[in-house]
Amino acid sequence: MASPVVAQRPAETPPGPGRRRRPGVGRRDHLIGWLLIAPALVYFIIFLLYPALAALYYSFTEWDLHSAPIWVGLQNYTDLFFDDVKYPHFWKSIQVTLQYTLVAVPLTLIAALGQALLINAIRRGSNLFRLLLFLPVVTAEAAVGAIWRWLYDPQYGLVNAVLGLVGIPRQNWLNTPELVIPALAFIAAWQCGISMIIYLAGLKSIPESIREAAVIDGAGPVQRFFKVIVPMLRPTTFYLVVTGIIAALQVFGLVYVIFSGGGNRSVTGGPEQSGLAYVLHIYLYAFRYNAMGAACAMSFILLVFIMIITFVQFKFMKQEAS
Amino acid sequence: MIRRVTGAAAAAVLLAGLAACGGGSEEGGAGSATELTYWMFQDRTPQAGEVVEKIRTDFEKANPGVKVNIVKIPKDDYNTKLGSALAGNTVPDVGILDQPLVSRFAQEGTIKEVPAGTLNEADFWEGALNTNKVGGKLYGFPIDHTAVALFYNKALVPTPPKTWDELKSISAGIHQKDPKVAGIVVPKGDGYGAWMWPGVVGGNGGQMVDEANKKILFDQPQAVEALQLWVDLLPSSPREITDSDQAFANGLAGMMISGPWDVATIKDQFPDLDFSVAPLPYKTTPAGNIGGENAVVFTKGKNEALAWKWLQHLTNATNNTTLAQALGGFPVNKEAAERDAATFGEQQQAFLEQLKVAQARPAIPQWIQINDEIIAPALESALSGKMTAQESLTDAANKTRALLGWNS
Repeated sequence: MASPVVAQRPAETPPGPGRRRRPGVGRRDHLIGWLLIAPALVYFIIFLLYPALAALYYSFTEWDLHSAPIWVGLQNYTDLFFDDVKYPHFWKSIQVTLQYTLVAVPLTLIAALGQALLINAIRRGSNLFRLLLFLPVVTAEAAVGAIWRWLYDPQYGLVNAVLGLVGIPRQNWLNTPELVIPALAFIAAWQCGISMIIYLAGLKSIPESIREAAVIDGAGPVQRFFKVIVPMLRPTTFYLVVTGIIAALQVFGLVYVIFSGGGNRSVTGGPEQSGLAYVLHIYLYAFRYNAMGAACAMSFILLVFIMIITFVQFKFMKQEAS
Repeated sequence: MIRRVTGAAAAAVLLAGLAACGGGSEEGGAGSATELTYWMFQDRTPQAGEVVEKIRTDFEKANPGVKVNIVKIPKDDYNTKLGSALAGNTVPDVGILDQPLVSRFAQEGTIKEVPAGTLNEADFWEGALNTNKVGGKLYGFPIDHTAVALFYNKALVPTPPKTWDELKSISAGIHQKDPKVAGIVVPKGDGYGAWMWPGVVGGNGGQMVDEANKKILFDQPQAVEALQLWVDLLPSSPREITDSDQAFANGLAGMMISGPWDVATIKDQFPDLDFSVAPLPYKTTPAGNIGGENAVVFTKGKNEALAWKWLQHLTNATNNTTLAQALGGFPVNKEAAERDAATFGEQQQAFLEQLKVAQARPAIPQWIQINDEIIAPALESALSGKMTAQESLTDAANKTRALLGWNS
């Protein structure tokens, strides 16, 4: 399966002032340079580039993993888009994934910024809270899935118990098609630790003088938040939106565990396919229905889609702080 | 902080390296022994580890110079790993294969046909044996087999229902008496529910497909009534109760449909629950589905003769009962099954009854896909009330016909 690589070309640094190149060392430097990046390069070629190119080739074949692939040209692609007998839930999986992304990404960013502001505001124990809020990120996906299955339990779940306190009736979260995506997005927001840390770094880099100037100009906390903090954090937000969308479009582990964790349940993507994430759909065709060719085609469709979305964001979103 | 993390990472890498070395030297110690690699599902019962180990050492004792490497893989990951192994030419010599995959693998030539004289058909139950047959030829050994039956909470259901009508009235009675308790955990429209449903269709004298004449039959009245039964059970079995984790074991539902693996789990985790198991209620004919494990020999594997010998060892009258029990199923070897019938607990007898009337899944290579992508959503549409049972099954049958290129 192709995992998109967002490679950032490092800005070329001009030779620093006062550093003189010693003649005759260039070639050896070159060699050492290659040696130093060799491990990363070998990893990249063997585990990313080669599989990606192989997947591209297999996407033009019909391949069951066991026998020799048969070249079918563009048929996998046209069938995926137009043959709803062969791939009845292809469009549904796209719809589910887009909905999930639209809900999960903003929710995650809001949760991350909220947590970062709180941690930034407290004087004591911020290390402890930072650790606690980061824990969901380092928890194994399988454990996260199992825990949230209990939390969302329609009878004994903590989520319903808490909502019950404010008079909201019990919900059957993971088994009501309309509630599946909000429920999944909420888990994603709970796991916002990495975004929180990045926001925290962004907050720390806002110069104190700007805040003070705003206070002197008579800006209240709300005004300061919207007129100073949000604009100053714009580069951070841009980065988090771009990477967040890429991650959300590829959501898999959580959905897989949530809807199959019982062991005997088979993974068909939740009630009425309401949780059939695109990558789960790829997985089912690749490994459950032995249609690796079609699965590779789906991976490439995703890759192209992610590239387009990312390009559009770079083109049309404000990236600079103001 | 960063330094500490680096240190921990380095330690982890080192440990992993040491572990790898340890494993390597152990294998090296076996020297010139003939090695047979056998893939199976991860243990699902507490005793499985010991039982399998004993069977393995017995085999090695009886065959000097032979070493059997048993690789256990979680069931959820098994087909993924097997697919990758086959693509990468690192196949096991012999291994478990899901029943519905046998026909596909046989047609592809991924697995070997059982050589004449290797397996005496009369020694095995027919239902289980048939799950290994493709076009009349035998491609694997049944290892154990299993079926689903009706679990009932004795406190809520004094006598289990035998017919669909009794099932409906008992379910309604339970929920009426205590609205917090559901009558029965109605299966869902997912792959698992779709695997159980043919047993219900069979209970009405129906069939899923007629392979010989290329006919889809699950839109016929027998099947539609079978789905309607599940729909009719829902008012007395609300999902918000039965979707709770372990609803039956927690006493929140009077009945559920499940397999023998749950008997051990419930006894272990809910020792106070007074329950038993009865054959599935039926309308016209007792029937049930079948599941379980087959084992096959891979074309790309080595040591073929030894591999068949190993499968004979797993399924002989001496070993098959303990092995099948350890795998959470029932012996496929008739002699073992009949001799040991009494050693199965009270709760297990219903499954033995059920297996006598079990029907193998259609031997169609695309069956898993049809099960998951077409039948499961059709069941769900009817159960959620989006369509009637007839509408959703007619639609599903048409989709299946189009997929398979069948006309009727």
